[in-house]
Amino acid sequence: MGAILTTDRLTKNFGGLTAVNDVSFSLEQGEILGLIGPNGAGKTTLINLISGAFPPSKGTITFEGRDITRDKAHTVNTLGIARTFQVVRIFSRLTALENVLAAMVDRKHKGPWSLVWDSFFRRACALTEDKESCATADSLLDFVGISKYRDEQAGNMPYALTKRLEIARALATQPKLLLLDEPSSGLNPAELTGQIDLIQKINAQGTSILIIEHVMKVIMGISHRLIVLHYGEKIAEGEPEKVYNDPLVVEAYLGGDSDAQH
Amino acid sequence: MSARLRNILLWIVALAVLILIPFVVEDRYFMHIAVMAGIFTILTLSWNLLAGYTGQLNLGHAAFYGIGAYTSAILAMQTGLSPWLGLFAGGLVAAVFGLMLGFPALRLSGPYLAITTIGFAEILRLVAMNWVDLTRGSLGLSGVPLLTPIKIGDFTMQFYFERDYYYVVVAGVLFTLFCIRRLIGSEFGVTLQAMRDDEAGAQSIGINPSSYKLAVFTISAFFAGFAGGLFAHFARLVSPELLALHNTFDILTMAMIGGLGTIAGPILGAVSLTILSEALRSMEEVLKIDIRLIVYGLLLILTILFMREGLVGVIKNVWARVKGDR
Repeated sequence: MGAILTTDRLTKNFGGLTAVNDVSFSLEQGEILGLIGPNGAGKTTLINLISGAFPPSKGTITFEGRDITRDKAHTVNTLGIARTFQVVRIFSRLTALENVLAAMVDRKHKGPWSLVWDSFFRRACALTEDKESCATADSLLDFVGISKYRDEQAGNMPYALTKRLEIARALATQPKLLLLDEPSSGLNPAELTGQIDLIQKINAQGTSILIIEHVMKVIMGISHRLIVLHYGEKIAEGEPEKVYNDPLVVEAYLGGDSDAQH
Repeated sequence: MSARLRNILLWIVALAVLILIPFVVEDRYFMHIAVMAGIFTILTLSWNLLAGYTGQLNLGHAAFYGIGAYTSAILAMQTGLSPWLGLFAGGLVAAVFGLMLGFPALRLSGPYLAITTIGFAEILRLVAMNWVDLTRGSLGLSGVPLLTPIKIGDFTMQFYFERDYYYVVVAGVLFTLFCIRRLIGSEFGVTLQAMRDDEAGAQSIGINPSSYKLAVFTISAFFAGFAGGLFAHFARLVSPELLALHNTFDILTMAMIGGLGTIAGPILGAVSLTILSEALRSMEEVLKIDIRLIVYGLLLILTILFMREGLVGVIKNVWARVKGDR
């Protein structure tokens, strides 16, 4: 077991605002690492940096021994990091199945022109007739429990299920590391339990996970370790129970000044 | 299997109707309208590939049309290249320009891209106006050669009359339709639609939007250039007016009214609006105002307000209701 992902003194400035400040941490192979912190602590920014949505101002990111600091989002994904979004970013006019299939296209690293060629000269690549891809996509939909919606337009699916669809889509890229940005936001208690099960099932298959979560029940239950961000800085790290009782963390959540307690 | 059989039957019937039209309607004016409807169908289908399936608003599409027309005309007039090859040469040259226009699309989106594409077409229109040695400026190139006759045994097919040219255009439309349907139904098409629905989401699953955008701009421009070539050898006059914004606006209106992001929409829109515009032309002579643009604008507003999915959406809804009643 070694670190699959390491960040070294990662910093991101937006104009005068430092959203992520000097954050170093590593994520062990096979681990579920929880990332918590009050609103605006820089959690999503950190995930955006790792996934290549934008480059950091300072610091480096290493994935499986390779420097991915400056890699773009699509490259980062092909290296083995997939992500979901805080507010779902599914393909709303495609069906659930097509959403997952879309994630499998560039697995073959072909590029557009070779796909154009395929569309004329290789009948098997007409999506609905590609049995192998469809079978894989179907099994993923089944895995996250939404196979009932296979041919439904993603935009018409219930919100809770689009979050699952997004996870299925991310899994279709066969990631070694999955970044989950608040997978439980907007879910009711029953859906919450299902989501926890799902995340643990994914982890059990060997995928390392970095998860942002506000719902304490979820994050305490599934994380092997926790990292706490506050105003962009890492203020605590360690086992969930220990971090939860850390005075610094308690203060960050309840607010140092009294007005937050009212 | 029965659905497939029904599809094949439908195609055969449609093809038979298309082939038989000139035998039923012998009016040359009507055949002229049919040819123009076909050319605009190709233009609208290719524009829709960008706007409807990839979410790239290109308001310079007429430039590709014009480039194709000039290329095919100039090649035929100055080098004696067969117009049959010229059609494809026009498409290829337009595709090169399409690739060029693809580059700004990598950094710009929405209204910024739209304005850039208008500028692109406008610059090329001015080049066509002012490069008098090559294009004869605003006079345009007249006397563009006809498509050369095809000889099969004793039978010679000429392309002088509208009804003969009509078959060429029908073949062109079918060729375009085949290619675009193939592209949309493939992995390539799904990738484009994924980018249209959410670009950041598409990147997160390993799709590089830049390379796909360049490819789709190139392909879209190819078909517009091909349509330009078809026009050049039909009208036998190519002028800078082909590159003007109002042509793009016609294409946009046809795609919107027919149904953006569908295959049937552009065909439906192009055919119905070409016919409508001819009907309005006769009214214009009586009313002495440019009523065509007024009606187009009005139809566009009504479409956006009340039938976002265009005629295709309306037909779908009506069909669903009829089915539900039974």
